[in-house]
Amino acid sequence: MRGSTGRCRDWTQYAFVGPALILLIGINVFPLLYSIALSFTNVDLVGGAWKFVGGFNYAVAFKFAKYGAALRTTALFVCVAVAVELVLGFALALALKDRFSGRAFALTALLVPMMLPPAVIALFWKLVLNGHYGILNQCLGALGLGQPQWITDPDLKLLSILLVDVWMWTPFMMLIALAALNAIPGYLYEAAAIDRASRWKVFRRITLPLCAPLLGLAVLLRATDAIKQFDLVMAITGPNDPATQTVSALLYQVVFRDGKVGLGAAYSYVVLVLVLALASVFVRYMSSVQRREEAGAQ
Amino acid sequence: MKALRIAFVGGYFCAAMLPLIWLLLTSFKTRDDSIAVHPKFAPTWAEEVAVDGIYFRANLDGYRQLAAVYAGGDHAFFHYLGNSLVIGLLSTLCSVLIGTCAAYGFSRFAIPGGRDWLFFILSTRFLPPLAVVVPVLMMYREFDLQNSHMGLVLLYTAFNMSLAVWLMKGFIDEIPTAYEEAALVAGYTRFQAFRLVVLPRAVPGMAVTAVFCLISAWNEYGFAMTLNNQKAVTVPVYFAGLQGNVSGLPWAQISAGMLIFVAPIIVFTVLVRKHLLRGVTFGTIKR
Repeated sequence: MRGSTGRCRDWTQYAFVGPALILLIGINVFPLLYSIALSFTNVDLVGGAWKFVGGFNYAVAFKFAKYGAALRTTALFVCVAVAVELVLGFALALALKDRFSGRAFALTALLVPMMLPPAVIALFWKLVLNGHYGILNQCLGALGLGQPQWITDPDLKLLSILLVDVWMWTPFMMLIALAALNAIPGYLYEAAAIDRASRWKVFRRITLPLCAPLLGLAVLLRATDAIKQFDLVMAITGPNDPATQTVSALLYQVVFRDGKVGLGAAYSYVVLVLVLALASVFVRYMSSVQRREEAGAQ
Repeated sequence: MKALRIAFVGGYFCAAMLPLIWLLLTSFKTRDDSIAVHPKFAPTWAEEVAVDGIYFRANLDGYRQLAAVYAGGDHAFFHYLGNSLVIGLLSTLCSVLIGTCAAYGFSRFAIPGGRDWLFFILSTRFLPPLAVVVPVLMMYREFDLQNSHMGLVLLYTAFNMSLAVWLMKGFIDEIPTAYEEAALVAGYTRFQAFRLVVLPRAVPGMAVTAVFCLISAWNEYGFAMTLNNQKAVTVPVYFAGLQGNVSGLPWAQISAGMLIFVAPIIVFTVLVRKHLLRGVTFGTIKR
């Protein structure tokens, strides 16, 4: 009797979770395995005959200077973008923590950029950043500052993309930082006030350590997202600009412009290892934060 | 200290809003005013405006010309908007339905390895589209799915699954189990209890999840661009395809189209503002 209900429940529970898992295995796991096979061939985008080439693609991938440059560009982009967004977002959250009239409106308006389609809005940013008719340089001109050529100067191209990324994602850091700040119990600040602790000490000893877990979560989420940077690069400089070629842009160039599917698959494997390493750090971190949240809620 | 704070927030706010306000203004400009060397930020209805003044001639031509085919394009803007709508809505519907079922399963049953499966689902979110798109493209060729609406619907459904399952699990965990236990005792099957007792209570959560799935499908560019270059081209791919000389682009039309495209996102952002935190952290932070 007991055995039969147990089996029945087994069947029911898999009926609930089955479709989602089958879909993910079909559309995510299978392609990843398939691309291992592709990375050992010289298959071309347009099709036709192909043959097994062993580790040739991997040998090329590691020797190709452009690949190392793309990895460095991506690393630089991720570090600078995440650091600037974190500092700026946290500063905004500290400034917006207390209630004031119009706060709800200001917060919602500030959050809008992170919900917008990057590929679409980046095209408009090309107009904003334009050296001659862009509103940014017109504002700088009115303030008596220089006229940097944001999109054409090779030294500034990556900075332009960073600027748009910071514009889009600072609100994300602000949102999470605000949640962290609001969760700090008021009595800690009251106790600090009784002890006449300085502002800096309160920030160092109370605010920062108590915000750290959620800020860490935000940094990991942003980093795993920024490492995929593609949309902004495509829209602002195109996939083959040496100054801004991120790994995703390089993959696009190799597979869709040069047609080398096998080499692209080999590249993407190296990227995947990096991304999955970062993702597993994130997942571990997230489950510890989640446990703490659940413990806090009870 | 307070003045510093106001200056910082005010300064950031103005800087952050500037591109959006400029987008709005540009959509009402003429072609010449949109790429004027002197910034034109005040609308006027006068017939003639000074070249170096701050006024621009406000008109609706940008919106009117959206229905026309832009030189070099195959279709007018609304064709691509239609594609985005069909793909976005269908994939959202599928993600929310499948995701809700899975979330219910993970929430109510002690599935062996349940936590690992959940984290497996989450980890699919981190795959860079460009790293997965090659084998997907090869697969789609076999099944003749490339350049089709169906292909993107399937892909977006899979990629939004992580978001849907994690968000819905958060919402379903909050629904007390007492209701369905009562229904099970009253002789309902598990599926009936799910459909008749749990689903109606999960509707607000499903609406929030749907908004996040829709926005993520609506904004997606990498897959849409690499899998579709003829049929089922979505708006982000269409806009990104309008590359070239900045002065040659019809900025009033582009801005008008962008505004129409992002308007629903802004409306939805306002509607789900209380749940934004949940949405961007996959339900980890619930406050």
